[in-house]
Amino acid sequence: MFRRDKGVGTARSPEALRLVDVTKVYGSEENAVRALDGVSLSLPAGTFTAVMGPSGSGKSTLLQCAAGLDRPDHGRIFVDGEEMTGGTEAALTKFRRQRIGFIFQQYNLMPTLSVVQNTTLPLKLAGRRIDHVRAQNILDQVGLGDRLAHRPDTLSGGQRQRVAIARALVTEPSVIFADEPTGALDIRSARDILQLLQEAVRVHGRTVVMVTHDPVAASYADSVLFLADGRLAGHMNAPTVDAVAERLAHLGDTVGGAAAGLGDGMPMGA
Amino acid sequence: MFELAFRSVLQRPGRFVGTLLSAFLGATITMMFNSMHDTAGGSNVDDQSAELLTITGAAVGGYGTLLVFFAVASALTVNVRQRDEEIRLLRCTGATPAQIKRMVVGEAVLVAVVSTLLALVPAMLGGRALLGQFQDNGQVAEAVDYVFGPIAISAGVSITMLASVGAAFLAVRRATKAAAGARAPRHRLRTLGGGLAFLAGVGGVSVTFTMDRTEPALMAAPAYGAILLSVGFATFSPMLLRVLLGWLARPVELLAGAPGYLTVHNLRERATQLAGVLMPLILFIGMATATLYMQDIESNAVKASGVGKTVADKNLESLNFVIVGIIVAFACIMLINSLYAATSYRRREFGGQRLAGATPGQVLGMVGVEGLVLTATGLFFGTLAGVAGILPFNIVRTDTVIPDVGVAMWLGIAAVGAAVTLVTSVGTARRALRTPAVSAVAVAA
Repeated sequence: MFRRDKGVGTARSPEALRLVDVTKVYGSEENAVRALDGVSLSLPAGTFTAVMGPSGSGKSTLLQCAAGLDRPDHGRIFVDGEEMTGGTEAALTKFRRQRIGFIFQQYNLMPTLSVVQNTTLPLKLAGRRIDHVRAQNILDQVGLGDRLAHRPDTLSGGQRQRVAIARALVTEPSVIFADEPTGALDIRSARDILQLLQEAVRVHGRTVVMVTHDPVAASYADSVLFLADGRLAGHMNAPTVDAVAERLAHLGDTVGGAAAGLGDGMPMGA
Repeated sequence: MFELAFRSVLQRPGRFVGTLLSAFLGATITMMFNSMHDTAGGSNVDDQSAELLTITGAAVGGYGTLLVFFAVASALTVNVRQRDEEIRLLRCTGATPAQIKRMVVGEAVLVAVVSTLLALVPAMLGGRALLGQFQDNGQVAEAVDYVFGPIAISAGVSITMLASVGAAFLAVRRATKAAAGARAPRHRLRTLGGGLAFLAGVGGVSVTFTMDRTEPALMAAPAYGAILLSVGFATFSPMLLRVLLGWLARPVELLAGAPGYLTVHNLRERATQLAGVLMPLILFIGMATATLYMQDIESNAVKASGVGKTVADKNLESLNFVIVGIIVAFACIMLINSLYAATSYRRREFGGQRLAGATPGQVLGMVGVEGLVLTATGLFFGTLAGVAGILPFNIVRTDTVIPDVGVAMWLGIAAVGAAVTLVTSVGTARRALRTPAVSAVAVAA
């Protein structure tokens, strides 16, 4: 269904994302909460990884730091071999829009723009030439080829999320971050979205990192990273729903005792 | 529900500062000028003094009051519209539309009462100072005592109450209907109101021709006309803007790039909501143009009539400009207030754009281009309304069609309007951008 784009992978690093000792602390000195506590990881290009953990485990913080939406207090982040350095928001935005695509639980589409305009917005903002045929192709692939001129408020949740996927694909980013992409969808729409994400990886050659707390969603990924109390707490290849649920249920057993009391009052949700 | 209203005001006074400020300034100005009526009706006021006081109350007080009404109403409309999320929450917790209406209208009553009470002392001081100025100029006998009485208070209370409660009621009605999933309302009431304001404005301007050139209140009719025309234009300008933007989409985009692109789409889609911002802008430009130029024409006519320019004449001239200036300054503050409220509300929209890959500079660029388009629209319609008031006044007052006035004052008004619009909206957007994009999008209220 997807056609592998020419040029993909030519200048790409084999490592799509690398985090080195990333730490993020919220709150003041006295009641500081370590949302991320020295997380290091490396994800090869062309993989589909799910990040799982209970509420407050730091998975959303991990995604936001890795995606350059939040700044870690300590540690280094490399996207496609390039280090994400601090600097102004404008600089970070420019770094992001070349290398990173986003899919959010609440879609984040512009209500005043049509489906095709929403899809091409990142190109427009980056001042890149807009290939309308390509945009049309991507929208065809996500099943919205006949809804180009619709506005987001006339679409279902699943359709909105497919617009968001098309928008994330159109810039050909090194990594696509998805934050609970199926969190607001019914079972059938959720399955469609997860299959599209799978195809983005297997056929399109993208790298997808998905934060979720749903073992079913995680089972679509190639591998699962478990997070608890801001630290990596395990790793699973070729996950199945039952295995993920089982591991998730016992995450607290290994780290719970040592880190008791640390997970309270996480300001960012998870 | 009134308790809830009371609590929501107490808990978050910050959100009501804008509305409170508008209602407070409006009540102050209304009561200050209307107290001239009370003073004129006091004991031992000679006829000449009484006449001047009545004219001031009727002319400036009259159109000033009308301006206050529309300015306060538009500020409150902007405020209530921004509470969709809260209204949705209330619906989810089981509030009926009637309860929500009672709450929002109850808040408006509370704000109106508090602001009128707060305005009492400043209005008294202002009225007394105004009387003092008249007495210093010899326009009003020294023996006249300042009276702050029933006319001032009833005008202040009724205008503030009517404007805030009326605006709150209309806005919340729309909001509850929209929250209940009804089709987008078609703004029939607004179109009707705009049409009526327009007709009344044309009427007000035409009445000028039936008046005598020496009629002291000659300025009032065209001033009323200019205000009503401004309101009428503000109602219809969004539709016109939408059509215009259809044509201008490409040039704006070519000139301003991605920010221009976003601007054009935003403005076209949100055109109907823009009336809230365009209203104070057109009112400011229209009022400033009409009253300042009429005052200029009046001064010139007095000069031309051969009366020697005494110190008293000069003082009266500057006093008149001060009076008109108060009204214009009020219109300007209301403009800032509305722009601030409208822009800070867009934090979430800005967040979405930033997540889609817009740099803060691009977001500010978009707000800037929007500000320019709004300024141009406001200048066009405001000037139209102002000129519609000036021309009849000039014809009746001087028997010439084209007024003998310079363009410098208009340029000044335009510069102030543009500066206020751009500085307020871009400055507010800058502040809104300090929130990280992710939390800006997630924030519900």
